[in-house]
Amino acid sequence: MSTLIIGFLIGCAFGTILYLSGATSYRRILGTLRLQDMWIIKLMATAIGVGTLGIYLLDLGGLAHMSVKPAYLWGVGLGGLIFGVGWAVSGFCPGTCVVAAAEGKKDAMFTVLGAFVGAFLFSLAFPVIESTLISRANFGSITLEDLLGFNGIYIAIPFSLALLGLAFFVLKDRYE
Amino acid sequence: MEPDYIISWKVAGIALGLLLTLATALVQPLGVSTQFVVSDAVVAHKVAPEFAESNAYLSKYGEKEDWGVGYGWMLVLGMFVGGGVAAMLLRKRQPQQDKGSMPSMWQARFGDSVVKRDMAAFGGGVLLLFGARLAGGCTSGHMISGISQLAVSSFLFGVTAFGAAILMAHFLYRTRQG
Repeated sequence: MSTLIIGFLIGCAFGTILYLSGATSYRRILGTLRLQDMWIIKLMATAIGVGTLGIYLLDLGGLAHMSVKPAYLWGVGLGGLIFGVGWAVSGFCPGTCVVAAAEGKKDAMFTVLGAFVGAFLFSLAFPVIESTLISRANFGSITLEDLLGFNGIYIAIPFSLALLGLAFFVLKDRYE
Repeated sequence: MEPDYIISWKVAGIALGLLLTLATALVQPLGVSTQFVVSDAVVAHKVAPEFAESNAYLSKYGEKEDWGVGYGWMLVLGMFVGGGVAAMLLRKRQPQQDKGSMPSMWQARFGDSVVKRDMAAFGGGVLLLFGARLAGGCTSGHMISGISQLAVSSFLFGVTAFGAAILMAHFLYRTRQG
């Protein structure tokens, strides 16, 4: 039961951060995808930089509840491409459309509606997709740690520093 | 000049990274897109139970006894509530460019039609979730949580999703050569 409450509270914080940082804003998302406004890139690089370090430090103490998604190359790759097109067309992703809808943005409500339809269409197509795109070239839930064969913290530290350096020192705020 | 943000990417990025770490310590990392399927499955089990059970994907979620409404679903509900409350309290501080249902960048390129904008938002939503379910996650589950776990699948998703989105955005906003 307490897991449900923790989930709700973490979600509240997540939604609040997305709203306050302008991540639910079309101009930020499309500005990033048009490679003009680096706001979202910097936000994500910082989040991943801190998150990688945090998770692998937890892992050192055996405290990380990881959930690594399986690497089935065709499905993940093609899914990413389809997702990317939807991202650029709508200006939202599945998380930000929920928060933007809560803000009262009507276009975001249409994205939420579309998202329910897209998930439903996927469930109809699943039997065909599973045998073709998911079960083939499936390498399971592997991480760079498994791939490279040494403790993930040695990958996490330089990777985090690189991302944070990119966000704080390398990228400009805007490119014209 | 008025600042064009409420909190900066620095504050938001660090807060999000710490939140992800906290979530991973307490339960599991962040994720959103699965919950659209869970919601679909709950409705399907209500409306057409036989169909829902016969579908290999929907039958995994939204069981009669156990709806599958757990940590992940509560997290998305929390996003809606948290984002909504923040928006109510801080609307005055939200930059003008971030307000409203008709983005000015869209308007300048595609005109004033609300129907056109809403149809694009709807169609984009269909592609978002079809793609996310095919890939097994979205921006939160794959990109932020997945890459932070150094998951191979999430690096692949990050590259293909950003690649396609950047190309599509440039295509949508291409400048016509006279």
